[in-house]
Amino acid sequence: MNGSLRQLLRSPLFITVVAVVLWFSITFLILPNVNLLATVFMPEGKFSFSAIERLLSSERAMDSIRNSFILAVVLSVTVNLVGIFIVLATRYFDIKGARLLWLGYATTLIYGGVVLVAGYKFIYGDSGFVTKQVQNFFPGMDAGWFSGVFAVVFVSTLAGTGNHLLFLGSALAKVDFQTIEAAQMMGASSWKVLRSIVLPTLMPMVYAITVLTFLGGLGALVAPQILGGEDFQTVTPMILTFANMPSSRDLAATLAIVLGLSTIILLAVLNRLEKGGTYFSVSKVPASMKKQKIENPVANVVVHVVAYALFAVYALPPVLILLFSFTNAAAINSASLSFDSFTLDNYLRVFTDYSAMWPFLVSIGYSAVATIIVVLGLLFVARLVQKFKNPATAAIEYVLHIPWILPSTMIALGLIVTFDHAQWLVGDQVLTGTLVLLAIAYVIGKIPFTLRMLKAAFSAVPDQLEEAAAILGASSFTIFRRVLLPIVAPAAAAIAALNFNGLLDDYDTAVFLAHPLYQPLGIVIKNATGEDTLTDATALTFVYTVILMVIMGITMWLVYGRGVKLGAPRRRRTPSTSNNPITPPSLEAGVKTTRELVTVGTAHNQEK
Amino acid sequence: MKRRTVLIAGLLAASTAAATACAPGQSTGSASESLVIYSNSVSEGRGDWLKKEAQAAGFALTFVDLGGGDVMNRLSAEKNNPIADVTFGLNNVYFEKLKAQQVLEPYTPAWAGDVDASLGDAAGGEFWPIVQEPIMLVYKKDAYASAAEAPQDWTDLWTKEQFKGRYEVPNSLGGATTQMVLSGILSRYADPAGELGVSSEGWDQVKAYFAGGSRAIKGEDLYARMVKGEVEAGQMWLAGKSAREKQYDIVTEAAMPTVGVPFAVQHVALVSGTKKAETAKKFIDWFGSAETQGKWSKEFFTAPTNTKAAALADPEAITQTEAFTKQDIDWTLVADNIDKWVEKIELEYLKG
Repeated sequence: MNGSLRQLLRSPLFITVVAVVLWFSITFLILPNVNLLATVFMPEGKFSFSAIERLLSSERAMDSIRNSFILAVVLSVTVNLVGIFIVLATRYFDIKGARLLWLGYATTLIYGGVVLVAGYKFIYGDSGFVTKQVQNFFPGMDAGWFSGVFAVVFVSTLAGTGNHLLFLGSALAKVDFQTIEAAQMMGASSWKVLRSIVLPTLMPMVYAITVLTFLGGLGALVAPQILGGEDFQTVTPMILTFANMPSSRDLAATLAIVLGLSTIILLAVLNRLEKGGTYFSVSKVPASMKKQKIENPVANVVVHVVAYALFAVYALPPVLILLFSFTNAAAINSASLSFDSFTLDNYLRVFTDYSAMWPFLVSIGYSAVATIIVVLGLLFVARLVQKFKNPATAAIEYVLHIPWILPSTMIALGLIVTFDHAQWLVGDQVLTGTLVLLAIAYVIGKIPFTLRMLKAAFSAVPDQLEEAAAILGASSFTIFRRVLLPIVAPAAAAIAALNFNGLLDDYDTAVFLAHPLYQPLGIVIKNATGEDTLTDATALTFVYTVILMVIMGITMWLVYGRGVKLGAPRRRRTPSTSNNPITPPSLEAGVKTTRELVTVGTAHNQEK
Repeated sequence: MKRRTVLIAGLLAASTAAATACAPGQSTGSASESLVIYSNSVSEGRGDWLKKEAQAAGFALTFVDLGGGDVMNRLSAEKNNPIADVTFGLNNVYFEKLKAQQVLEPYTPAWAGDVDASLGDAAGGEFWPIVQEPIMLVYKKDAYASAAEAPQDWTDLWTKEQFKGRYEVPNSLGGATTQMVLSGILSRYADPAGELGVSSEGWDQVKAYFAGGSRAIKGEDLYARMVKGEVEAGQMWLAGKSAREKQYDIVTEAAMPTVGVPFAVQHVALVSGTKKAETAKKFIDWFGSAETQGKWSKEFFTAPTNTKAAALADPEAITQTEAFTKQDIDWTLVADNIDKWVEKIELEYLKG
């Protein structure tokens, strides 16, 4: 241990990195949050616990906490059911048109948050397209069927299956096909093979995804807000409300701490369980997976029907959003399609009017800047914590995980409280009201999963390479630049792309920190979908949504598209042996890496 | 994979460069003189209209369109590094809070003599009234056989069985209009010995108000819900009523309670620390002038506070505004307690 600390101190590169990380952590991760907690809990220099009393006596607050936990538990079940089904349907069973199905199921990867929920409401809501069509056949149908706990679970379930598609799909590819063949030769039925061989192999991955589904449900914001109605409201919208009221911020902080503590407890418990868990061995001589025919004709028909029904549910909203983005506000309001309402005006307006295009440029700019900074910076940090394992680096790692525990709203408030006056740590500058603050918040928000993911990428690099370079006389910076960087670059690019997507439609952070003249897209979309707005903006929102989908689609394609194994609809015949750390050599490493990957995936999917 | 990596890196770099190169504010003429204005009253086309009018008068404006609470939070957060030059549209409660935080700069506009300064900050001269507007209980006219059967006052909504579940209650309390309505109800039950200055009877009323109402739905306007037949009544401000009746093509009426209705007075103020104080002052002089306020009134159905603007204003807007009795509200009580009231209601009475 001490040795590695001494080693660390001998490398000028890493001393610099440590210095920068320490400054950044103290300035932007510790100070703001300590400051915030101090202002809300000790307004007059004395500790006050009145926030806890006020919350405990509020039935509404207690209900919302209970609902958050209910949602987390229910989603853990439903997301897994649907997620495992769509992965099996597209990757394991021989279903006609599996590639098309995959594309339909993958639509939730290219849009999320308020855009996705508003889209589903537009289709299934009380004046929605589908509701109206169904009402034509069943006039007695309740128009308000799509609300409350059912609607929230429905939308969150579909939105949450992206992780399965990306990560369970790749885990499935590692199931040893020889074992399956052997079992079949011994007369095992397809059901038996699935239950005894395939599912057990997938369990570690399912388990990893469940953690993130649970956390996503706990922190759900947009779906309950828009669809929950009066019976099903959750904690995060309440945090947002109280955070907006300066005199009630202690309530927001207390609720945030409740969520944060639950997260810590859950992660701790799961880490323990994981240590005692057994992993199922898989062959390291992979035989490529062949799709399985479902022998029972009835089961075959049922699976086909369910697969295509799900396809329709997934694909309808984005397809209809695309169609309606070409119509005028009247058609959108009445949710009726006709040829004479088709127009290109919406698109012309966005692409010719600079002010309509502006939010896009702002969002793209911020996302790109924050992504570049966080990935480049953490390349060094990840290497540091992965190479030098000592108490100092462990502490740094813990501190860098703070953004995972606190909701982004609280982090934003901490930054405001800390930097609304000159602060010597940042050269006596006032950062509130500048362009920098939002970029800092975005960087902060993306630190935990970028770090975890890059660390995993570095751990896939064999030690010998570095040793060889060192023996040949390369300096630590040269080794980093010429040996390590080229190997982790693909992973870094993938993380960058996912980070970029995740930040594009951010609202929570921007609403507090965005420079008023540089308002990103999330704010514009939220304003357009809020109450008290007249409807001119609706058509524009649809165009924004479509362009967002296109951008995110391109990013996803760059990462997971043709030629990259994981998540691609067409798998290569033989598993690639490239140094892409996304497809690691063994399952043990695979579970670990994919767990990091899942985190990134959730970051992208979480409806924040 | 390598090509892809290079491509992603290249795209990121390019988009950074592209987006940092150009801001819209700077592209429109003399950037240094462009005023930044925070307001909760520029939505629904008002901002676009004002921008055009101001341009003709020689002002370049950039609006930041936010809700009342957000405007206030932003102004106080940016106290030490203000971006806004001028703010308008907020009511007394918000402006009193801003004044207390020393966010505003005293300035006496050229038209100060034409308005009743006591509506604003007569003593400090930090904010000045431009428009006053009744905050009303509106109902769909054809939902009731006669005006007598419609709700006559807020209290009718929860005390009379026929209105239960048929009126909309807000789902969040951050909005200026909502807080006005609550102030109008709670201040009727002022009691220095009561919780937060309100008697327990008063709290029972508010509890009943929320319990008996239909919760507003995020993303759906009150008038849209009236058209659908989900509710028949709810809160609205005068100009909003006029705009929505046109948009949704329905007729609504406002209740005329004998105690009167809360009047929201919108003010304009100079932001302390602005680097364009001279231009900003000129803009305030122009914006509050009889001529501009008269045009604004004709366009957006408001009653200007500028007495000289009355002749130029929409006579119907003035008639309708004057038809309401101004409710006698203890604004000091409201300003001291509104945050606590809102928190209590959020925690205890709000649905969902």
